[in-house]
Amino acid sequence: MASLEPTQNKTWDLSLYELQRKPQEIITDSTEIAVSPRSLHSELMCPICLDMLKKTMTTKECLHRFCSDCIVTALRSGNKECPTCRKKLVSKRSLRADPNFDLLISKIYPSREEYEAIQEKVMAKFNQTQSQQALVNSINEGIKLQSQNRPQRFRTNKGGGGGGGGGSGGGGGGSSTRSNVQAHDTASNDSNSNTNGTDRESRDGTSTGSAAGAPNVPSCNAPAQPPASAGTSGASTSSSRMQVDDASNPPSIRSTPSPVPSNSSSTKPKRAMSVMTSERSEESESDSQMDCRTEGDSNIDTEGEGNGELGINDEIELVFKPHPTEMSADNQLIRALKDNCVRYIKTTANATVDHLSKYLAMRLTLDLGADLPEACRLLNFCIYVAPQPQQLVILNGNQTLHQVNDKFWKVNKPMEMYYSWKKT
Amino acid sequence: MAQNISPEQSGGAGGSSKHNDDLLPVKDNHAVSKRLHKELMNLMMANEKGISAFPDGENIFKWVGTIAGPINTVYASQTYRLSLDFPNSYPYAAPVVKFLTPCFHPNVDLQGAICLDILKDKWSALYDVRTILLSIQSLLGEPNNESPLNAQAAMMWNDQKEYKKYLDAFYEKHKDT
Repeated sequence: MASLEPTQNKTWDLSLYELQRKPQEIITDSTEIAVSPRSLHSELMCPICLDMLKKTMTTKECLHRFCSDCIVTALRSGNKECPTCRKKLVSKRSLRADPNFDLLISKIYPSREEYEAIQEKVMAKFNQTQSQQALVNSINEGIKLQSQNRPQRFRTNKGGGGGGGGGSGGGGGGSSTRSNVQAHDTASNDSNSNTNGTDRESRDGTSTGSAAGAPNVPSCNAPAQPPASAGTSGASTSSSRMQVDDASNPPSIRSTPSPVPSNSSSTKPKRAMSVMTSERSEESESDSQMDCRTEGDSNIDTEGEGNGELGINDEIELVFKPHPTEMSADNQLIRALKDNCVRYIKTTANATVDHLSKYLAMRLTLDLGADLPEACRLLNFCIYVAPQPQQLVILNGNQTLHQVNDKFWKVNKPMEMYYSWKKT
Repeated sequence: MAQNISPEQSGGAGGSSKHNDDLLPVKDNHAVSKRLHKELMNLMMANEKGISAFPDGENIFKWVGTIAGPINTVYASQTYRLSLDFPNSYPYAAPVVKFLTPCFHPNVDLQGAICLDILKDKWSALYDVRTILLSIQSLLGEPNNESPLNAQAAMMWNDQKEYKKYLDAFYEKHKDT
């Protein structure tokens, strides 16, 4: 009876709206009135589960509606009051079933299964757009970065067709499979050379294309690790979709992947990181021994001539293939490498052939790990270039790549080089 | 009226919410995550000014929310991050909400715990992430100084000028966190 008290103080003046409003015409002809499902939804929805009401229960006093299951659970778990308006609900007896409302709902939505199926679809689509949004953002970010760096390019690359480098997708992969580890450590080389203080990771057109088109994430079979930030959750979901794209791309062909977009750095799997570091340190070790520069040497590059300045435009792209005759497919090493025997490398043009050979040996050793045949524990390669098809020229180890390029390779595409055993 | 209540039920009425939480028939997680997904969808559609929230990673049961300090209060122009941990009994039990950003406020302790009735005994299954964040936002401007978690803040509240000065120094100190 306390509820009646306030009404005594209430004034009965008409509001402005009530004064202005006109009576509504009664519809006598066949006019139809449309109500959008969305506005209807809020009326037919249970405010607890946010789903359509199921076995409607109405509170006797305040007339709020809930699913039977929802309100029973709510009363058992929480305060004995109406979840909507806090009116006291002593027990289940303060509620009553509302079959008429259930009937009304079934008139509007004859098939509940169908309705639920649609709901599921909408949910799935929503989740997808969430992840697509994240993917699109990261791609845009990548393209922006690339176009910023484009003017600094040394040579235009039309030929590097296979270079479906990690691109933006690389970031999404929370994978710890072997091939992804490789991709990430290629990235480490790349970012490593960036530490020169110059922004010289000039991107070739191919990887721009691949970032937007068919991102070649080097396999995402392992379960994605939970990304650290909200924004990346989408990216990792989308990466699992990319498996399909991945399958159609030959895994052997790699270019140096684009710098991983900012949002993805956090998703890099732990394991890849450790591999990266170990490789980096090995590389710098060998660099110091050989005293010549490559992509990986920026850490130890202390010759004072503004090291970045010199290197900015001096980048060179290489395709490494096994020697067509000497390294045939029945060769133990090539068999172990399978599709991985072709290598794309981007490095500074003042690296020497000797260094490349050493780098290649180390890279193959790392990639193969235990798969490396016992017979070739110590890889020692000599490098050839083919100015014309069928014609292989063995290269002197002291030559820099720049010299080789000028001498043998005048066309504007990645220089093709071949590797074979060093003859003793 | 009370004579119709069965003894077990009236006994349960006085029980603490903690106690009830254990007894809850834990609905299958699917129902809970479904509701959280719906909330997320509604939140994204509504595009509410001054608050935002998103699951923290893959786990839909952990969210991170942000609220902007309400304008015309000493907290204006500040942004606060909060963590929301949803129990399996959500929405029948309240999520655990904490400030991640240090917050000097009469009803927030230095660990970020919040003293707000709707997150404790006044919880209702109708509250959701949106209403929780809006409630906390309004709590910032209207603290309950009767039961402070941070007594110093409650004492200082009356002198808003001094409070604001202290607040600025506080932010300066906690800038890096």
